[in-house]
Amino acid sequence: MGPEPLLSVRGLSKRFDGLLALEGVDFDVAQGEIFGILGPNGAGKTTLFACLVGALAPSAGSVYFRGERIDGLPNHAVVGRGLVRTHQIVRPFREMTVTENVAIGAYFGSRGRGRGAREERVAGLLQRTGLAHRANTLAGTLTIGELKRLEIARALATEPAVICLDEVMGGLNPSEIRGAMELIRWVREEGVTVLMIEHHVHAVVGVSDRILMLDFGRKIAEGPPNAVVNDPAVVAAYLGDPALIGGGA
Amino acid sequence: MIGRHPRRRLVAAIAAALLLLLAPRVLARGMLNDIWSVAFAVVLASAWNLLGGLAGQVSIGYSAFLGIGAYTTALLALRGVEPYATLPLAALLGAAFSFVVGLPTFRLRGPYFTIATIGVGEAVRVFASGVSFTGGSSGIRMPPASFDFALNYTSMVVLAVAVVTLAAWLRGSPFGAALAAIRQDIDAAEALGINATRYKLAVHALSAALVAAAGSLFAINFQYISPGSVFDFRLSLSIVLMPIVGGVGTVAGPVWGAIVFSYLQIKMLSVPALRDSYLFLYGTLLILVMLFEPKGLLGLGKRLLRALRRPARVANGA
Amino acid sequence: MHELLAVVVNALLAAGLYATMSYGLAVIYGVMRIINLAHAGILMLGAYVTLTLYDRFGLDPFLSLVLVAPLFFAIGFVLQRLLVRRLPSGGATPSMESLLLLFGLWLVLQNLAYAVWGGDTQSILTPYTMRAVDLAGVRVGVPNLLVFVAGAVCLLLLQLVVKRTNLGRAMRAVTQNRDAARLCGVDADRISAQAFGMGTALAAVAGGLLSTLYAFTPDFGRSFLLKAFCIIVLAGMESVVGVAVGAFVLAFLENALGAFTRVPTSFQDAVSFTLLVVALVVFPQGLPHAFRRVTPRRPALR
Repeated sequence: MGPEPLLSVRGLSKRFDGLLALEGVDFDVAQGEIFGILGPNGAGKTTLFACLVGALAPSAGSVYFRGERIDGLPNHAVVGRGLVRTHQIVRPFREMTVTENVAIGAYFGSRGRGRGAREERVAGLLQRTGLAHRANTLAGTLTIGELKRLEIARALATEPAVICLDEVMGGLNPSEIRGAMELIRWVREEGVTVLMIEHHVHAVVGVSDRILMLDFGRKIAEGPPNAVVNDPAVVAAYLGDPALIGGGA
Repeated sequence: MIGRHPRRRLVAAIAAALLLLLAPRVLARGMLNDIWSVAFAVVLASAWNLLGGLAGQVSIGYSAFLGIGAYTTALLALRGVEPYATLPLAALLGAAFSFVVGLPTFRLRGPYFTIATIGVGEAVRVFASGVSFTGGSSGIRMPPASFDFALNYTSMVVLAVAVVTLAAWLRGSPFGAALAAIRQDIDAAEALGINATRYKLAVHALSAALVAAAGSLFAINFQYISPGSVFDFRLSLSIVLMPIVGGVGTVAGPVWGAIVFSYLQIKMLSVPALRDSYLFLYGTLLILVMLFEPKGLLGLGKRLLRALRRPARVANGA
Repeated sequence: MHELLAVVVNALLAAGLYATMSYGLAVIYGVMRIINLAHAGILMLGAYVTLTLYDRFGLDPFLSLVLVAPLFFAIGFVLQRLLVRRLPSGGATPSMESLLLLFGLWLVLQNLAYAVWGGDTQSILTPYTMRAVDLAGVRVGVPNLLVFVAGAVCLLLLQLVVKRTNLGRAMRAVTQNRDAARLCGVDADRISAQAFGMGTALAAVAGGLLSTLYAFTPDFGRSFLLKAFCIIVLAGMESVVGVAVGAFVLAFLENALGAFTRVPTSFQDAVSFTLLVVALVVFPQGLPHAFRRVTPRRPALR
């Protein structure tokens, strides 16, 4: 595959008390890729992200980041190493302003990397995510679209090498979706590798370099977008009408 | 994160501190005793607030730290050590014990953590009453020689001013921001790189050290301590109630709470009929605060101010 | 060997009481996700009311339970309506506001008791308080035995209510998923009030039972409250059976410590406190969960 992958997942499994949420998932992500993750509800996508960043400890398998094994490390330690995620259901610090929220990411997430000019960085991120006009408002008063962007800005403030976006387009209207796709491309231009979980299949297909498809906790397809959406297993998983996927925007 | 008009507040605070320090030249001993009690309460309330208000971890076991400070000083004084020299060690032991409490219990969240601290506090009390080197349940009397009220007064006032200043500085610092994040959403904080356990342990240790120092000064000023007086559950209660009633999480809240409580307590002790009604008072205050104004007196004050400033507008609900 | 039998028998008798005392807490927590610190105050009041009924009317403490239970059910129901209902509750995690509110209520109840009955230590002395009988070769006090019987009856009744009545079914539904229960037509608020009433009644009954065994003051509930917490944490809030098992574990440890080691009785309370902390940290979801066999299975349907 060329140079060593940035992120490498082998045999990842996660069991909750008798429910196997993930089973033997393997994949690699190369530096600078935009890597999409698709799958029906309950397929284990968010669980996968949680295992990657250390919010959950896997039951089996391993995660390698920059050659270092990171499964089992606590969340804050993984973030310190440059791997961060956003939450599907946004979790802003409601009693803090937008700026303060993003500043938390800037202060505590980036360890020993670019300490200087933190405030500039925060301001820049607010600008880029279209939140500059809300800089001093309390996070508790934002709209859902703004909250989603805050979630991204905050995660980016940690200066990650890899960012895992969990359904950031959920609940957005078509023009907001286009804005999000642009943002994701910009993030990649800044040198950050992106993993993204999405239900908007056409958005994912439009932006990703490669896609992973999960169903019932197992990988059922992996590869370039066109190959994956036309894979019979994928079509079957979505109870497939091929016109429903890959046909739209 | 620093409130509005920080300079005004700073001036007010310095003025208050100076007034207090000059008071012995003017006021009678009785009043100075009362001020000492209020300062003592301010230290306890503000120190507790660092963990309980800023970081949001409510511990109802703080009398343990007070007792540790008091007993360290008393026991060493009995062996001939100069009482004031024992302060650093007392603070250190308080901080050390905070790790004993914190390491197992900080895994717990919210009310479960609180219940665990009640358990720990009780266990410490039972232990202290039962073990002989602490003098058992009859307590210890300090060696009488060096009682110097002027020094006692000044040291408590200085400690109170120091704690409040520390609280104000902390609240506006990155450390304080981390604590606030932990309080609001601990998982989100961890997801952004904050090692929540480390921060909780750190602020707990700081808080415990301050309370232990207050305990030391308590022993020095009262000359007699017993498990009933320093390891009491009701003391743990008061330490929690003062900042909550005053305004948990703020800098001024615990101070106001301490002032109100001390005043009420002094007044109540002088009326024989009311002497035992403190439970009713504490309980009712807690109920009222939780039902109507969880932000305490300070929150109530802000609401009133806002209502007063907009008399013409229709109230929209707080 | 006889020592061990004595420990087991005594533990069993104590467990009946502990379980009754704990289940009230468990019901309230399960249905409302509220940690009821006032439970200690109710325990104490139950003891005092039983005392008054005995002193004034000569009513046997065990018989007076028939009066105490409904009285306190009503008190609990009213308390929920007046105070508790105004707070945010039923969320996924218990709230600090409710914890502190009920804490305040506990303090008020204590003061009430001081005002009405004074701070002197009280106890109930019936003709049979000092009598003892032989049970499987172990000498046990008559009150202990009666307490166990009363506790067991109580828990059996409870099992019946929970499993067989509509109220019980509704309570279980609300415990598992409040919103889903409401969608099915369950009036969750009324169930909450009834659950609070039930929890209060159970606490008062337990207090009445305790009054036959121990001397008490208004400060009385605290160590029992901590024991109750310990038990419901161990029980994992799952069922009456879980509470019974947790109660036995605690009672056994306490009795074994007293019988087989030289730890003085004053330290025995520390057992429950330590066990509580251990239980919270090591078995946060209760013993039944820890021992459940884990067999992997895939989700059965989409």
